[in-house]
Amino acid sequence: MGKLEKVLELIEAGKSIEEISREIGVPPSEVEGMIKILESMGYIQVIETGDSACEACPLKSICPGSCIKFKGKLYQLSFKVSRAHR
Amino acid sequence: MMKVVALAGNPNVGKTTIFNELTGMRQHVGNWPGVTVEKKEGILEYKGEKFLVVDLPGTYSLTAHSVDELVARDFLLKGSADVVVDVVDATALMRNLFLTMEIFEMGLKNTVIALNKIDLAEKRGIEIDARKMEAVLGVPVIPLNAKEGIGIKELKKKIYEVAHRKTRVEPIIPRYDPAIEREIEHISTVLKHTELAEKYSLRWLAIKLLMRDEEVIKLVLRYLGSEKLNEIMGHIGEVEERYKRAMDLMIASQKYEFVDSLMHRFMRYRFEQGETFSDQLDRILTHPVYGLLALFAVFYLMFKFIFAFGMPLQGMLDDAFSSFGQWLAPQIASETLRGLLVDGVIAGVGAVLSFFPLVFLLFLVMAFLEDVGYMARAAVVMERMMRKFGLPGKSLIPLVLAFGCNVPAVMGTRTLDEEKDRIVTMLINPLIPCSARLSVISFLAGAFFKENQALVAVSIYAVAILLALLMAWVFSRFLVGGETSPFIIELPEYLVPSWKTVIIHSWERSKEFVKKAGTIILAGSIAIWYLSNYPSVIGSGRSYAERIGMFFEPYVRLMGLDWKAAVSLLFGIIAKENVISTYGVLYGSREAIINAMVPLQAYVLGLVTTLYIPCIATIGAIKAEAGWKWAMFTVVYMIGLASVVGIITYHAALALGF
Repeated sequence: MGKLEKVLELIEAGKSIEEISREIGVPPSEVEGMIKILESMGYIQVIETGDSACEACPLKSICPGSCIKFKGKLYQLSFKVSRAHR
Repeated sequence: MMKVVALAGNPNVGKTTIFNELTGMRQHVGNWPGVTVEKKEGILEYKGEKFLVVDLPGTYSLTAHSVDELVARDFLLKGSADVVVDVVDATALMRNLFLTMEIFEMGLKNTVIALNKIDLAEKRGIEIDARKMEAVLGVPVIPLNAKEGIGIKELKKKIYEVAHRKTRVEPIIPRYDPAIEREIEHISTVLKHTELAEKYSLRWLAIKLLMRDEEVIKLVLRYLGSEKLNEIMGHIGEVEERYKRAMDLMIASQKYEFVDSLMHRFMRYRFEQGETFSDQLDRILTHPVYGLLALFAVFYLMFKFIFAFGMPLQGMLDDAFSSFGQWLAPQIASETLRGLLVDGVIAGVGAVLSFFPLVFLLFLVMAFLEDVGYMARAAVVMERMMRKFGLPGKSLIPLVLAFGCNVPAVMGTRTLDEEKDRIVTMLINPLIPCSARLSVISFLAGAFFKENQALVAVSIYAVAILLALLMAWVFSRFLVGGETSPFIIELPEYLVPSWKTVIIHSWERSKEFVKKAGTIILAGSIAIWYLSNYPSVIGSGRSYAERIGMFFEPYVRLMGLDWKAAVSLLFGIIAKENVISTYGVLYGSREAIINAMVPLQAYVLGLVTTLYIPCIATIGAIKAEAGWKWAMFTVVYMIGLASVVGIITYHAALALGF
């Protein structure tokens, strides 16, 4: 099994980038690169974290929490992963 | 006719900088036909000849999964470019050369590699021998530092040479394991002598068919008809069945290994690539144990900072409101109006508004932690814990929002795909202390715990978060069934925050607190003033407030609280800050409140306020998102949970001699 497949398997197992990096012996930046490739292949999707929930909120004009944003990039596995394991 | 130069590459590799260097100010920006993807074109002049430079969208592969990839791939595939400049980031060769291999596989023999950020690579100890790289890859390689304009002249020269076929370009083609190569060969044979063979590389078509590329499948259908296509796809189905794995992933994975095997022939690390300081820090901050300890330490220091700088300002504001009330009282002749303004509005709204410095400082610290990059690390630690308690990682987003306000957090659960995840996250959301509850926690911690304010606040937050996780485990195990989906977080780089941005964000967030004090809290203060003065003044035992409070007193007494706490908690359902404003109206001054309760009662009140019924807006949001059943369930379970925690804490503390 190649590294790309291994990375996908480890993400499925719920490992973090840091843990994957240690497990396959490459720097975290290379794991991030592999995640980008898997994303471009449709195996991983970026989760939009914008404030769409706040936009629909009736309290947005008086809510102090409406501007809380998340700076990290979040990914989840796509439906395509189940096809990968036949 | 002008020759065309296409710039391809991953995103953020410096493609735009190179485009600007090549074209100067002679640029035109539009859209690619039929899609809203930006198309940038410009003119390069070299040796008196004009070239049209087209900046293709940045992509990591050419799988045609996104519009960007499709645009870039179609452009290259149609042979629209006389020269393809593949911009490669020298500091991230692996992921960049993966795309390079995809370009090579198309059978193009006009590629030049622009090896950008070579200066940065050198600084990081990455040594790339461009001549060897050229020999291994079979295409010209031009090292560049585009930001400084270094290498641009050489790149222009090479573009000219390739455009005029004065340089030989024989790109290396990735090879796969023998079994896959056999399949490529087999499909290529089927496609041989067809119309497609004249237009496209057979090997590329075969690989893409094996990868079940939808665009290529359509292409084959258009040219060869369904019979031929079904024959090919039937064969691919058999191959997949044999391997029990998706071919696209297998091929991509082997292509990646192929790049890995090539790299060592022209690249080496000048010194051992140890962990960077950022990596080391990440290892601690995202560690299952140290990361959690760090999280608590950060929370503790945050509250220490907020109390150290915020409480003196809160005291000053509180005094200012009291003095204003004392000054105003004699100026108003009407007793009713005086009572309403001084004992109702100023005592109630003033009590809440005096916490503005603390709320501002909380948002300041949060904005700082966000900007510096710590919040994403904390999220990794929390996400790991959440998973252990049966919550999907994706729940993290609404739960982070909940620290600001529970209402958008409940709405944020829409991003969760699984019904089970959505319901569980919605149910535990109100247990996360929002900024309104911070005012109550700060008020009680500040007034009753002079020495350990930060510790008291952190302990209430910790109990609430722990209970949220515990309830998530209970709900996902016994109440709502279903699967959870994995999730991964890419950490942003650590950055020195921009103080201007941090202050602007904090102000934007905290000014809403003032708005709320002027609307919901004001209305609540007037209502509680009315209830405590009619039909008879407070103390007579006949005011509405006393009657309501007395009705609930036997119940709250189990937690060591009195009727005034019962009324405050009741008004807190409208908005949690009303707990403070109600105390302000009922007692009249901060000193009176301090004299009326002991620290243990204050701690229990803080815990109960954090855990009992969500505010009315949150209940409405749950009803809108999941229906009355779950909204009522949330109310009931939270009252039960708050009661159990309140009673146990009070009696356990008494037994321990507090």
